[in-house]
Amino acid sequence: MKKSPFTFAIGVVLMVAFVLLTFVFQVRKSEVAVVTTFGKLTGQKTEPGPYFKWPWPIQKVHKLDQRIQNFEGKFEETLTPDGYSLLAMVYVGWKISDPAQFFPKFANGSISEAEKTLEALVRSAKNEIIGQHPFAHFISTNEKELKFTEIEAEMLKKVQAQVLANNYGIEIKFLGVKKLGLPESVTQAVFERMHSERQVLVSKIQFEGEEQAIKIRSSADRESARLLNDADAEATRIRGAGEAAAAKSFAVFQQNPELANLILKLNALELTLKDKTTLILDQGTPPLDLLKDLPRK
Amino acid sequence: MSEDHNHPHGHDHQHGPEKPATAPLEQDDTGSRALSDALRSSFFIVKIVMVVLVALFFGSGFFTVNPQEKAVILRFGKPVGEGEQALLGPGFHWSFPAPIDEVVRIPIGQIQSVSSSVGWYLTAPELEAAKTEPPPGPALNPAIDGYVLTGDANIIHARATLRYRVTDPLQNTFAFTSASNLVQNALNNALFFAAAQFTVDNALTRDVTGFRERVRARVTQLLEQQQLGVTVEQSDVQVIPPRQLKDKFNAVLEAGVKRDKALNEARSYENEILSKARGEAASRINTGETERTRLVEFVAAEAKKFSDLLPEYRKDPELFFRLRQTETLARVLANAQEKIFVAARPDGKPRELRITIGREPEKRRLPEPPKKPDAH
Repeated sequence: MKKSPFTFAIGVVLMVAFVLLTFVFQVRKSEVAVVTTFGKLTGQKTEPGPYFKWPWPIQKVHKLDQRIQNFEGKFEETLTPDGYSLLAMVYVGWKISDPAQFFPKFANGSISEAEKTLEALVRSAKNEIIGQHPFAHFISTNEKELKFTEIEAEMLKKVQAQVLANNYGIEIKFLGVKKLGLPESVTQAVFERMHSERQVLVSKIQFEGEEQAIKIRSSADRESARLLNDADAEATRIRGAGEAAAAKSFAVFQQNPELANLILKLNALELTLKDKTTLILDQGTPPLDLLKDLPRK
Repeated sequence: MSEDHNHPHGHDHQHGPEKPATAPLEQDDTGSRALSDALRSSFFIVKIVMVVLVALFFGSGFFTVNPQEKAVILRFGKPVGEGEQALLGPGFHWSFPAPIDEVVRIPIGQIQSVSSSVGWYLTAPELEAAKTEPPPGPALNPAIDGYVLTGDANIIHARATLRYRVTDPLQNTFAFTSASNLVQNALNNALFFAAAQFTVDNALTRDVTGFRERVRARVTQLLEQQQLGVTVEQSDVQVIPPRQLKDKFNAVLEAGVKRDKALNEARSYENEILSKARGEAASRINTGETERTRLVEFVAAEAKKFSDLLPEYRKDPELFFRLRQTETLARVLANAQEKIFVAARPDGKPRELRITIGREPEKRRLPEPPKKPDAH
């Protein structure tokens, strides 16, 4: 019976598929794998791609997530060296960096087992570092005093050192404070203090406002008086200048003081007797002297 | 027609059973032939099915990438192409079917939003929607009530919403188990970081913008440091005083408003009084100017008159004097209201004259401003 090349091809394809499925495994990007031979760790694959393995039961492949995980510690109370109790919670970005070390340490690569260990590490690092910084390093309006980022960096360093010393096969990428707080009873005390601060502020603002308003008004009054005084002085100066200018013209009158005197007197007379005047005159006054020596009846 | 057709068919059918009748000569041969016929036809069907399956298998490798997303083909788990080139844009694509290739779709371009999970008191969305809040207790329980601590050790509530876009999809998808959780924690951190350096009044009223900027700068910096492959588009920060002290904080605000009102009133008084004073000052100076001009002109006019009269006067001073005197008196007499002429007594002795001035004096006229005398 002759074999059809088609059938043959199908056979080959099936064989290849079978071999691939049993002898090859894939490591996906974002994953790492460790290979155990008869239960003993014999290799690790950290780069994505296809790899060869002996089929079960000789070799077994364990895949681990290599991406950065977000781990959050507990929100717990810690004492600062100056006696404040501070609640702090930090979060950590970590990843498996060495699967061969990670895998046997944490119950065949269990992430949750690793997080239990991390929790203890993070807690001790947090308590230790907070125990070295006074309260003012956590919150302060003074930039030099505030050590927020420095504290985070110190905690990170501490956790990294611990992880490295224990060969966990973990890399701590970053660490940050997620939450800060005060014990419940302290918040009440803070509220009381804030309450009195507000009252002080209210009265301060009131007095400040009144004070400034009075200042503005009085300075306006002063300024206006100054303006008027200046104006009066200026007006006097101008008048003086006018008189000085007029004085120059007086030189003319000196040519004949009698005439000048006469003109002034005449002017004055005319001005004083301008209207609503009652004149009582005798015949000695010209032109009424014409009435003198009238013939008597 | 169909009956016609049926008939020959029926005939064939009748012949069919006759065939085995002629077959017995080679019964085995006929049986195996029938078997091989059957096999051949079923093989044919299998072949077709196989071809269809293979076609389907490869055909299943076609996929479309929608706008607003990118795709990466993982061949045996490894991205095809390096870096940016691994990203397939919108359109029609083909990959090897599973398990050779895996297509990972990554949403890109669309804005994602995340809100902070710390810093706000315990409330429920229904309460928020109704704009009410749970009644405040005397203290804040750290386990349930969130708050942030300000630089001057006060307690305030703050929350933030961050809108961001994935700009490095490869990094964002393949390097983090939950990038959005990390974005959220960066935002949480930024709230505490910013609050730690602001006084309560700056964060709440005086420098709200500065506070927002600080939160945004911090979160942007953290996202960059942690290489989350996202870009911040917009951030919004809400800050309120603790509910327990709402009235007290409002009282401060009211006091501020009152102060501003008092200051504004004082300033408008200042403006008014100063502009009045300026006007008055200008008018006083102008009066001075006017008087100067008048005086100067008056004297000049008098001087001119003097110069004009001088030659005449010199001709005969006595006559000049008499003429002027009489002339002026005539004018004065013409203008005078009452004139009383007292004739001399014939004996030449002075006459005694008694005058009673009215008890009610004539209504005094206001002194007239000095008029420019006629040049005459």
